[in-house]
Amino acid sequence: MIKVKNLKRIYHKGIVEVHALKGVSFEVKKGEFLGLMGPSGSGKSTLLHQLGLLDTPTGGEIFIDEINILKLSENEKTLFRLNQLGYVFQEYAILGELTALENVYLPLLMTGKKKKDCINLGMEMLDKVGLGERAHHLQRELSGGEQQRVAVARALVNNPKILFADEPCANLDTESSRNILELFRKLNEELGQTILMVTHEEWHKKYVDRIIYLKDGLIEKKGVQDGH
Amino acid sequence: MFKNLKVSFFLACKSIKRSNIGTTVLTIAIMSLIFVNLIFLPSIVEGIAETIEQQARDYMYGNILIEPKEDDFYIDNVDSLQKKINSLPGVLGTAPRYMVGATFTHKDKFIGGTLHSASPADEIVVTKYHEGMISGEYLSESDTDEIIMGLDLTGEEDKEGNEADLGGVKVGDKIEVTFSNGVIKEYRLKGIFSVSKMGMDSFAFITEKEMESVLGSNNQASQILIKLNELGTEKEFKKKFMELGIKEKIKTWEEKTAGITEVVVSSFRIITLISTIVSLIIAVVVIFVIIYINTIYKRKQIGILKAIGIDQRVIIRSYILQALFYCFSGIIIGSILLWILLSYLTTNPISFPVGTIIPVIGTSLIIQSILSLLIVSLIAGFIPSWKTARESILKAIWG
Repeated sequence: MIKVKNLKRIYHKGIVEVHALKGVSFEVKKGEFLGLMGPSGSGKSTLLHQLGLLDTPTGGEIFIDEINILKLSENEKTLFRLNQLGYVFQEYAILGELTALENVYLPLLMTGKKKKDCINLGMEMLDKVGLGERAHHLQRELSGGEQQRVAVARALVNNPKILFADEPCANLDTESSRNILELFRKLNEELGQTILMVTHEEWHKKYVDRIIYLKDGLIEKKGVQDGH
Repeated sequence: MFKNLKVSFFLACKSIKRSNIGTTVLTIAIMSLIFVNLIFLPSIVEGIAETIEQQARDYMYGNILIEPKEDDFYIDNVDSLQKKINSLPGVLGTAPRYMVGATFTHKDKFIGGTLHSASPADEIVVTKYHEGMISGEYLSESDTDEIIMGLDLTGEEDKEGNEADLGGVKVGDKIEVTFSNGVIKEYRLKGIFSVSKMGMDSFAFITEKEMESVLGSNNQASQILIKLNELGTEKEFKKKFMELGIKEKIKTWEEKTAGITEVVVSSFRIITLISTIVSLIIAVVVIFVIIYINTIYKRKQIGILKAIGIDQRVIIRSYILQALFYCFSGIIIGSILLWILLSYLTTNPISFPVGTIIPVIGTSLIIQSILSLLIVSLIAGFIPSWKTARESILKAIWG
């Protein structure tokens, strides 16, 4: 489903060049739950940003379902992000001026669906992540774990081909983290949702199918998890 | 386009609904005051212009003025000319006048000026001097030894002596008039009028019959004032008069006052223009600052919106819609404030040197003000949102 070929990303900080990705190649199958691990500065998040079209790589190619997504125009990339990809960020990246429900159905509105349908689908998604009763609460009225579940619901509401999660449990306590990871696992097993998750917690390994370890911008090793 | 506009509208509504109420109220208050300022000052200038023009029609020229041919001193055959003009439907009346230079003397004070003749029956139809009598009475057809004078000519008793008046003569006083042909005659002051500060209060009138007896003329006039039924039909009637074969000079009140109005209101118009520009700059700054702070404060949110696939144009449009909300709310509140202000000024007109002024708000002024405020709001809403929304997603989210 995802083919990454010789992906490079160089950042320029003044006159210094930072080689965040030095030529990464790998593939991800449909319905796979992939973990990206590695020490700080290894390029995990940078890799996820390139795959998720949040950033533009310096070199290499990314194919999603045979589409070279780096060849898309800016407008096409926006539409691709809307319809094919879902994101969960490290921080609770939900919109403070919107309620949990509004946050979730906003991407649906953008696809042109009727508002009533958007609300219904948004509500269904919130129920799935166990937040049906908190639908009309604003960001400031939700706990960190609840906010992250809203972000997950929003990321999934358009039925994306791939869900990207960049250290989704970084700011959560163990219990909330477990809830999120179990939710991901459930989505992956029951709906066949393809998930790419960046994490640095060893105990998260048990939730993923496979792990790619990155170090200094290169793949150090690829591993399959026992039991999956 | 429309589905995207729906999202922009949704984002703008939520942003306004959940923004700081104090900031929203303050912004709308500023915008409404700007709108009031955009309309109010020009409406005063328009009021001044209209007062001047109204006075010119009511006291100096009527709707149309007929003057002698190029080399003639008087218009001849006035009676037949009047009949011809009065026969046209739409003409309310005509008032012929003689105008001669004269010196007015009372005791040791004297002053030079222009003496007009009036045919009272005609004059009452065409002009409004009879409504402006502040003392005594207006002329009647049979008056021969009586004169009416404007307040600026008679002067006021209680006020300090002015070189340009007769020092406060009263009704019943004797005024000696020295005509330009050398005739000297004494008249009883029958009435004093005050109609305008645009020079009409320096006029003096005797009856037409009396003027003709002094000048030894008959059936002539220095000018004929024509009053029409409907304002705005002057050009059409001027053409009709020419078709009637009138060879004298025919001028509409607009042609006669073009210069005068311009002289009086030109300075006011410059002040108005400066005030308008300043107001619009304030509007730009206010909306720009509000939207700019808003976008800076919500930079991360803009990044998130872009990351989840919300088109950059949708985000920009949501901020433009917010700017338009401030703009239209300002216009609505400003209109209410203006209505209150105008209602007050209609019953309590402002006293200006040219007379009492009621602000005049034309449709073009309203449209012009709304459009200019709309355009500056669009610009001030677009620039900061465009600047922030075009940032890369990662930079917007993580700085």
